Amino acid sequence: MEQTAVQTSRARHGLARRLLRMFAVRETGILLALLIICAFLSFATTGFLALRNLLNIGRQISLLGVMAIGMTFVLITREVDLSVGSIYAFSGLTTGILLVKGWLLPPALLFGLVIGAAIGFVNGLLSTYGKLPSFIATLGMLSVVRGSALLLTDGQPVTVNTSQGGRSDVIEQFYFLGQGHLFNVVPMLLVIFIVVALAAWWLLSRTVFGFRVYAVGGSEKAARLSGIQVFQTKILTFMLMGLLSGFAGILSLAFLPSGQAGRTGVGLELDVIAAAIVGGASLSGGEGTILGTVLGVLIIGVLRNGLVLLGISPFWQTTIIGLVIIFAVALDKWTENRRLK
Amino acid sequence: MNMKIINYQIGGWLLLPLFSSFFITSQVRAEESIAFTLSSTIKERIAKESSPVIRVSYHDVSNEFAPFIKKGVEKAAADFKVDVKLVGPVGADAEKQVAEIESLIQKGVDGLAISSVSTDALAPVINRALAQGIPVVTYNTDNPTSKRLAFAGQDLVESGRIAGKLLADTLDGKGNVLITTLDAAAQWSLDREKGAREALAQYPGIKVLATINTGTEPQQIYSSVENAVLAHPDVNGILSLECCSTPAAGDYVQRNGLTGKVKIVGFDMLPETIKLVQGNIISATIDQAPEKQSYEAVRLLLDVLKGKEIKSVDTGAAVYDSKNIGDYLIASKKGS
Repeated sequence: MEQTAVQTSRARHGLARRLLRMFAVRETGILLALLIICAFLSFATTGFLALRNLLNIGRQISLLGVMAIGMTFVLITREVDLSVGSIYAFSGLTTGILLVKGWLLPPALLFGLVIGAAIGFVNGLLSTYGKLPSFIATLGMLSVVRGSALLLTDGQPVTVNTSQGGRSDVIEQFYFLGQGHLFNVVPMLLVIFIVVALAAWWLLSRTVFGFRVYAVGGSEKAARLSGIQVFQTKILTFMLMGLLSGFAGILSLAFLPSGQAGRTGVGLELDVIAAAIVGGASLSGGEGTILGTVLGVLIIGVLRNGLVLLGISPFWQTTIIGLVIIFAVALDKWTENRRLK
Repeated sequence: MNMKIINYQIGGWLLLPLFSSFFITSQVRAEESIAFTLSSTIKERIAKESSPVIRVSYHDVSNEFAPFIKKGVEKAAADFKVDVKLVGPVGADAEKQVAEIESLIQKGVDGLAISSVSTDALAPVINRALAQGIPVVTYNTDNPTSKRLAFAGQDLVESGRIAGKLLADTLDGKGNVLITTLDAAAQWSLDREKGAREALAQYPGIKVLATINTGTEPQQIYSSVENAVLAHPDVNGILSLECCSTPAAGDYVQRNGLTGKVKIVGFDMLPETIKLVQGNIISATIDQAPEKQSYEAVRLLLDVLKGKEIKSVDTGAAVYDSKNIGDYLIASKKGS
């Protein structure tokens, strides 16, 4: 009798300790918040937990997610990129125009991606060798790139379908990227998001590049002293950000075959930064993980979907999402000391 | 608790003068509306037969309509042989639009056509221009609180009524309807929604479930439509109040096997919308002929300069469905 009591108490103790250790991991708090929101929504609404709705949420967050992953890298190096919404529009519309002109999918896709990476390269140069704070450099580029997209299209909407030109087999392939389903169930956009997230997780946590990204964000001076090329690392993260923004923009046009330079991706940068921040990345650098960002993106996506299912007025939705961002980051800051102990 | 009550009272007293001043100013405004007189400098310039300088300010030169508005302006420039240019902010921004118009007044123009991003923000600058003897007409989006000389555009409330009636008839007078708009708080949207709800209310079998504010970003618009339909599985009709949630609703319905089960009536002639109307996925779309709006605005201004009396022009609301959409395509090909 006594022995079993001791055993259960020991087991309990062990469990408690394990739970505590779990809370010490940054993402657990975010995961908990997500689970609470999901639990509430599954009771308060009908249809939230339906597979179709969950897959829809997955699809709705995927483009934001792809970009938030890039932003995680940039934020870890203690920089920020405000031009992502403009790159999203510019790359997507460029690929769209090329497809309508009759290009094959791979070169059109590659062209759009290269443009994204090239703009990222300029952002990187300005924020390192150019000695500009990235906030300013990318704020300028936000306008430059948006303006270029307007000049490129003359403000006309770009519609990718066969009646506008473009080869039907190519358009079909392009649509599959954005509108197709893997095994007729999982939206391709969600599949792509998962693949990008896994690759980014590997890059950030398992490679020398990832190590350098954290080192640069932790302490630039220390990183430089230990022989890390700080500028090169930062430029590469900006290029990755540009590449992923461009990719998301192209996928966006594959999903909704019509884009417009004055509207596509406007204001997206703030959603992207918010998602990464909710996921635990910090504007002061050195912190952030891919898992955290994925959870952050999920929280925003689930909230948007859930608030509509609950039938809450759109003006309240905007307010609530803002409050959640503040609350999520505050919770993280308040528990920081406890975790560090 | 007591503190709270006191606070409210103070708040109330502070607000009272605000309200009363509002009523007073609006009274004064009504009394002030005196006839417009053309400034002497403009008269002299016109007398010298130099071609008048007219600027057409559009509230967002980067949106879908700007190319159509621009087309109308260019046509007016060619037809009337005057110096007409399209101006306006990139992205709907009241302050930028006001600032630009102020500098145009400063520089000297012979006429202004203005589509207001916000009625209240633009009314003072419109009145200032008129006070200085510069003729101002509005087009596309009217500014009824200002003293503008005339308006060239669609009667927005009426266009909403037409759309509401179209959808109700398509649904044989019974069903559940969602209204979608990319900016529920904008004046044009409020006007069209008012008309649409008025028309739908005539049919006792029709219930309006909700107005969905989709936001302006394309992905956001689509997701909003998607979430709204999932939240209201009993929906039979979607009434879109503008260009951009119209094709989004069409795409959603087509992709989810709801064609015929969920009927759509929307606005404007974007390429994707035309395709969806041809495929009978969108039952009907209403054209507001934006080229005509800016063109007519310029014509009105020239009439003022010639000393003619002018009246507002209703540029109409043409309804296109799968049967007559071909006419539109033929006409627009001829036009360009």
